[in-house]
Amino acid sequence: MTPSTSGVATLRQEQVGRSDSDAVDATLAASGDASAFERLYRAHIGRIHSLVRRMMSDQEADDVAQDVFVRAWQKLGSFRGESAFGTWLHRLAVNVILVRRETLGIRRQRHHEGDAMLEMVPARRAQVELNMDFETAIEQLPDGARQIFVLHDVEGYRHEEIADMLGVAAGTSKSQLHRARMALRRHLDR
Amino acid sequence: MNDPWTDQLSEYLDDELPADDRASLESHLRVCVACTTALADLKRVAVRARALTDRDPAADLWPGIAERIGSATPSSGVPAVRLMRRSGRRWSFSVPELAAACVALMVLSGGAAWLLHPGQVPLAVAPARAPQAGVVSIPASARAGSVGYDGAVADLERVLTEGRGRLDTATVRVIVRNLAAIDSAIAQAQRAVSADSANLYLNSHLAATRRQKLELLRQAASLVSAVS
Amino acid sequence: MLLTVAITLGTLALAGQVDTTLPVQPGQRLEVNTFGGEINVKSWARNAVRVQADPSSRTQVVVSVSGSTVSVHTEGRRGPASAVDLNITAPAWMGLDLSGVYADVTVEGARGPITVETVQGEVDVTGGEGNVSLSSVQGSVRLRGGKGRIEVHSVNEDVTVLESSGEIRAEAVNGEVSLEKVDATSLDATTVNGDVKYDGPIHDGGRYALSSHNGDITLAVAPGANAAVSVSTYGGEFESEFPVTITQGRKGKRFDFTLGKGGAQVELESFQGTIRLVRPGSSALHGDRDDHD
Repeated sequence: MTPSTSGVATLRQEQVGRSDSDAVDATLAASGDASAFERLYRAHIGRIHSLVRRMMSDQEADDVAQDVFVRAWQKLGSFRGESAFGTWLHRLAVNVILVRRETLGIRRQRHHEGDAMLEMVPARRAQVELNMDFETAIEQLPDGARQIFVLHDVEGYRHEEIADMLGVAAGTSKSQLHRARMALRRHLDR
Repeated sequence: MNDPWTDQLSEYLDDELPADDRASLESHLRVCVACTTALADLKRVAVRARALTDRDPAADLWPGIAERIGSATPSSGVPAVRLMRRSGRRWSFSVPELAAACVALMVLSGGAAWLLHPGQVPLAVAPARAPQAGVVSIPASARAGSVGYDGAVADLERVLTEGRGRLDTATVRVIVRNLAAIDSAIAQAQRAVSADSANLYLNSHLAATRRQKLELLRQAASLVSAVS
Repeated sequence: MLLTVAITLGTLALAGQVDTTLPVQPGQRLEVNTFGGEINVKSWARNAVRVQADPSSRTQVVVSVSGSTVSVHTEGRRGPASAVDLNITAPAWMGLDLSGVYADVTVEGARGPITVETVQGEVDVTGGEGNVSLSSVQGSVRLRGGKGRIEVHSVNEDVTVLESSGEIRAEAVNGEVSLEKVDATSLDATTVNGDVKYDGPIHDGGRYALSSHNGDITLAVAPGANAAVSVSTYGGEFESEFPVTITQGRKGKRFDFTLGKGGAQVELESFQGTIRLVRPGSSALHGDRDDHD
């Protein structure tokens, strides 16, 4: 902080937090400013896309991440700024993912177009070796345990919140988390 | 190893064990190497999970998003995707352009019906003209598909473009793919008609295929208005 | 939770496992709408509607009655509804209006008018009388045992009509249209990318129009049928399993001929596919071809 000559501390521009510029952009975007929305997209796509990838699969991530942002654009009018934009967006993304998972699950045999999407074809760019294997291991968890593990340990939701979102008991959330962690401990050292 | 001790390790790690159970578990941990090791592993899993880095997608998704949000202003406070409520059979539209396109469609359907029965009824959209013996005359307006058809298609395409963000990706893909299939059929029919403009079947087939395009656009547009 | 309620005007919002029955009267119709999941409607002889469902905690099933309409739909308690299967039993006389987005719809044993609209779902209806209108964008549509004014429509998948009768309109864009053991007094069967097959009686005074852009047209003709047939194709061929006498010369792949006394009007059109006449039961009607399946 650089004290100004009048003695009042002035915040440098860089110190305006992520959430402040988000709030400004969200207000602009809510009134139709697509450039503001693009800034929000660029700031948050990494997190949202990664969330979709971990909760669903690589194949669906692009489509579903797009759907999340399109839905966010439509619902911007209902974002009141009580939470940070990133938190609001994240919650919205989880909703989109959960509904999409269910509808895909129902039509698993009959969705001709989707057959390719459900195949697990690993196609990742080279990255830190350790991170890569751990993420692949997450992908191989059974669906329920995987969703709960991602929501709790990766994304930081509490069991009560997860139980509410997934429509399960909090106890189920805890036991599934434990199963996931026990399965993943084998993939720590590689 | 699924014994009662290890089953509690995650809750212990997350500080969710009630006090009594916590005390018993801690005593057990002092003497059980396997459990202590497991606990350490679980902690590393949780820490590693927290540390996962986020990655941007390989492709830039913004163009696709921008196209779908178009210039439509976000609605305020009303859920954009509600249950699809059928507001009635085919002719109930809420958007003014749709209503205008709808009127054009009805007029055209009447007109197209003339063209679909070659040899039975006059070819012209205006009913009074009968084809002269040996010569098939197709009035310019009907042959060009008429301004009415093109106008209706343009209106419906615009509604679909502006509103396709409200439909999910898979549905949009199906509609776009099938519109392309019909467009391709229209193009083939058009080429055939240019080479043989007096051919009754080709003209009626072209008209019928155009009508199918209009029907599909109308259906897509009513899907859009159903979710708004 | 079994609940029998006499409701003339009212709404039940049900969460958790649902099993609700309410009395209805002839003249009332049933409307069901869900975002995703299955809508399964069966019939019984009782004058009552039973709704069974097991929605997740985020969704509730709302049953309401308003005048002559009994309505069942799903609502999300926070945000969009999650998928739920609605299993409904209704009187056979009751008119049905079923719709959804990601909804698969099946109906069995209905004897009243039926309208089904879904986007990404399959439709399978047995029954229906009066106005029967079935439509899906992505999924296949199948009707068996329908009677009356029938309209079946799919954009991306096949349309199949079996053992039905009346005035029939069957349309697809990217699918096959098959009508088997169908007794149509008038027929309009059309698709862009797909074959069209009709196997059923051809009535004097009826009009039968089968058309495709890229696919084959196969029409079964019983011996003794009376029809004035016009065949039109641009790049395709014409084949017949039995001899026909061309009454109007073949000019540029369009020609007419008459079967018997020519009582019905038959139009067979394919831009690029093969148009063929076969006898009922011919293997061409059920052939496995190496095409777009």
